[in-house]
Parts: sequence; structure tokens; C-alpha cells
Amino acid sequence: MKLVWANVLAIYQRELQSYFITPWGYLIAGVFWLISGFFFSILYYNLAAQSILMGSDPNLPPVDYAYELIRTFLRVLGQVVLFILPILSMNLYTEERKRGTLELLATSPITNWAVALAKLSAVVTFFFTILLPIVTYQIFALSGASPAISLEPLLWGYFGLLLLASAILSLGMFISSLTDNTIVAAIVTFGLVLLLSLIDAISNSTTGIVTDIISHISLLKHYENLVQGVVDSSSIVAFVSYILLGIFLTAQSVEAFRFQRS
Amino acid sequence: MIEVEKLSKIYGSTAAIQDVSFAVEPGEIMGFLGPNGAGKTTTMRILAGYLPATTGTAKVGGFEVHTDSLKARQKIGYLPEIPPLYPEMTIEGFLAFVAKIKGVSAGDRPTRINYALEKCNLLDRRKTLIRKLSKGYRQRVGIAQAIVHDPPVIILDEPTVGLDPKQIIDVRKLIKGLAANHTVILSTHILPEASAICDRVTIIKSGKIVATNKPDNLMTDLQVNTSYDIEVDSNYDRVREILMGIPYLNTVTIANAKAFRDDRLRLLITSEGSHEIGCDISTALVANGIPPYEMRRIQASLEDVFLELTTEDISIIEEISEPVDQLHTESNGDEQE
Repeated sequence: MKLVWANVLAIYQRELQSYFITPWGYLIAGVFWLISGFFFSILYYNLAAQSILMGSDPNLPPVDYAYELIRTFLRVLGQVVLFILPILSMNLYTEERKRGTLELLATSPITNWAVALAKLSAVVTFFFTILLPIVTYQIFALSGASPAISLEPLLWGYFGLLLLASAILSLGMFISSLTDNTIVAAIVTFGLVLLLSLIDAISNSTTGIVTDIISHISLLKHYENLVQGVVDSSSIVAFVSYILLGIFLTAQSVEAFRFQRS
Repeated sequence: MIEVEKLSKIYGSTAAIQDVSFAVEPGEIMGFLGPNGAGKTTTMRILAGYLPATTGTAKVGGFEVHTDSLKARQKIGYLPEIPPLYPEMTIEGFLAFVAKIKGVSAGDRPTRINYALEKCNLLDRRKTLIRKLSKGYRQRVGIAQAIVHDPPVIILDEPTVGLDPKQIIDVRKLIKGLAANHTVILSTHILPEASAICDRVTIIKSGKIVATNKPDNLMTDLQVNTSYDIEVDSNYDRVREILMGIPYLNTVTIANAKAFRDDRLRLLITSEGSHEIGCDISTALVANGIPPYEMRRIQASLEDVFLELTTEDISIIEEISEPVDQLHTESNGDEQE
């Protein structure tokens, strides 16, 4: 057991390192920061203008603009990451297969699920790293807000974003384990992301028992709950289930791949 | 150290290997020889724990590769056909990674990495990115990753493919050197390589083992006919008449190769099995006043054995043996100059 964790750690470190020593990781981070920064400044100036406009009218109820900005921005980030995540997950296994290093991992004393767990942890860590500057500049930008922003809903929101990303990356990892073509992996994962959005749209538009069920499996719905500050254990369970499902399917598909390979 | 029993791997309706059984003793170098697609890689992948066999068992260091897979894998260093490398890592970083996932303790790692670097002649390049290495170096890094955790069993799938002659000699030396402390299985389709490095050669054809023995014994075992190449100044019928009385003589034919001088006759004489009839031939010829200008025994090379075992169509052997004769002619031409 000790060896298994040492192996998970070794693969985790190697994976994480590869994000920082290749231009690929910086490129993705740069694009993500650019897009999210663009949206943040738009939202920021819009809300600032709105607050000046509305603030002069004493008849309206007071609005916490800073909190509103945090929530809207998190929702936007939730959409932006849907485009970024397939690009992060597409290489997870396709590269290993192309380089033949999957054969090295598969013939080392290490189980498939440990490899999958290590890879997922590494890519989630990388995603967490690129979120950090965004959270930081947000706190800086809103530090002068009155009433002062409370960190708790902000952190719950980002925690939700991290869970959403982990779930999608986990499923994306499974998809990347099915093919040795990076582009195919990215496109299929993107299709899956669209399906998730569709599920979310259905759960928002109709009512009834089917919708109820769908809203329970909708990742974006659970994310919205966390953004709204509604911390529900069922949301956490849903995210964790998706993550575990992805790891499980990945381990199974790598195993099946070994059985079938001709 | 390695015991394989009745191993079969079936893909759909075709069998990649069928009832393969063999054993390798500790410290032995066993060579797997066979044409492409014979099942060498499949057998090695099963041993390395990458593929499961359809039926049969394979034990490495006492552990069955299917039921005790993780323990068996710890005993093995494996170099696949394509060396599994991460191009963005340095040689040293990569070996450290492999040492970690193979379970080398943190205290032993520096020594083990140095040992692998030294054995594979990579010490001066330890900080180089794998991406920047030439094919020969990559192959050596591939071998280094297979020995870095000091496994009792080393499996090398075509270790000398793509190397230049000097590198091939280095790698062969390296493999020979490993035999002292490791058991080695390697596959190759280069015959001189098998006879140069291996203690024992197993020839595999269409998924079945057709022969296994020491490289030297393999030839005598197979009772390949001994033949003689002679050059005389006479006519065919007369020589044939003289020679036909010799016991164990099989055939007398005019050789494909040209004689040293045009007015001479070059003949190919074969005996039954491994009977040596060279002495009788020369005595008979001299007694009849036709002393040979040249006489040479043609020994079956491992190549002939290999072709005999792995080629069904006899005409292919003939086609291939012709260029050999041409080579011979060319060497004659050299002498003339």
C-alpha cells in the first residue's frame, strides 16, 4: 500500500512538472487569464456604472454590488472553463499512448487506478494554480468595496469551480484514454461538455419528475448552488461521484485496451 | 527464473502465439529469434505483464504474471519495441522517475541511477533533455530505464534496432555484461546477433516454438547437409563418375558461382547429414589425376537454420542463397586483382 502511494506521488510530480516545463501549460494559462480578465473588467465597469446610476436613487433597496460581481463572474468562469478543460484533459492519456510510455506504466508495479488518480490530481492541481491569480486580483479589486466583501461565499464559489473542473477533467481523462488521437479526445470531451450544458438547460426550463432527476445529475446546477452560497452535501456528493466515475472508467478502459490490443 | 508453460494468446480467431513453453535459468541470456509477426513481441508483453495470455501460465522469479502481476512486475525490467520516454524530461530526471515507480527506495536511487547511466554510457549526457537525443541515445536510455531498479529479469524487445554498427557493438557488450547478475530475454531478427550474444536461442515461427538450443548445437541438431565447393580442371560427367562411388555422397551439381578461370569447372557436392566426405573426395580426385584447385566446406550458418525452420516455401531459400554465391564470386574477383 505504501508503495502504491509512493507511485501515485511519483506520477503526480512528473505530470505536474510537465505542465511547467513545456510551453503548453503556460499557453493554456495565458489564454484562460486573458479571457477571464476580459470578462472581469467588463463586469466590473458595468456594475460600477450601474451602482453610480442606482446609488443616487434612495428609493431603491441597497444592493451589494461586490457580491453580485463575484457571483456573476463565477458564473462566467463556469462557462469559460468548459472550453478550457477539454484542452487540459485531451493529452492525459493520448500522449502516453503515442509515446509508448503507457507500456512503461502498465508494466511497472502500479495499478491502473493509481495512475488515473495521479494524473487527475496533477491536472486539477494545475487548474487550481491558474485559478489562484484570478482569485487574488478579484480580492484586490474588491478590497475597497462597501460593505466589505466576505471571503466565505467567494471561497465556496471557487471551491465549486474546482469541483466542477475536477468532474469534467475526470470524464475528459476517460475520453482521452479511449483514443490515441488528441484532437478526437478534445472534440468528444467538448461534446460531453455541451451535453452537460444541455442537461442544465433542460433542468432550468421545465418542471416535473424527469426534470427533477435531471437537475440532480446536472453538474452546472450543482455549481450554481455553490455559487449562490447554498452549500448542500448532495452537490458535493454529485461532484465526487462524477470524479470517481471518471477515474473508475479510465482504469477500466486502460485495462480493456490491454486486453484487446492487437 | 522464467518458466513459461503452454502460453497461448488468441486475437479473435487468429492465434498470435500457441502453446509456447520454455524456461530460462538465472544468469542466462535467451534470444528469441523469428521473422516479423512471429509472436516475439506478444510473448514478451505477456511476460512483462502488459498483455494477459488467453491460456497458459508464465512465472517470473516465482510469481505468476497474471495472478501475482504486481509482484512479478517488480522483478522485471522491460524495454518495449519503442523506448518509452518522456521527451520533456532530462535523462537523469526520467531515470529518477522510473526508479520511483519501480519502487527503488529513496536512499538507493542515486546509486542505482548512476549505475544505469554508467552501464549505458550516458554519464556525460545526464542533464540532456530526451527530446534532443539521437535515436541511438534514446535506445540506450530505454535500456537504462530497464535496468535502473536492478531487476533480476530483463526483457529487451529488439534492443539494437536503429543503432549504428558501433553502438550495436556497445549495446551487445552491455547486454553480455548484464548476464552476470541478471537473467536476460531479448528478441531479434538479426541472426548473427543471436549467435553473438545469447547462451541459448529459441526460434519462433507463426506463434510456435520450432527449436531451442545453444547457437552452435542448433545447427548440428538440425542435420543440415554438409556441402563442399570445389574447383577442378575437368568435365562434369567424368568427375561425377569418379565421385559417385563415395559413401554418403548425396549430390554432385554444377555450382551457381563462376569458376576462377573460365575453362575450369566449379561443383557443389553435398553429403548425407553431417558426414564428412571431404577427404574421400580429394583422395578420389587426386587418384584419378584431377587434383582440385580449390576446395572448401560450406558450413550451414545460423541463417540457413533459421530459414530452414521459418520458411515454408523452399524456393525462398534458393532465392536467398543465390546472392551468397554472387558474393563469393565477387571475393574471387578481388583475389584476381
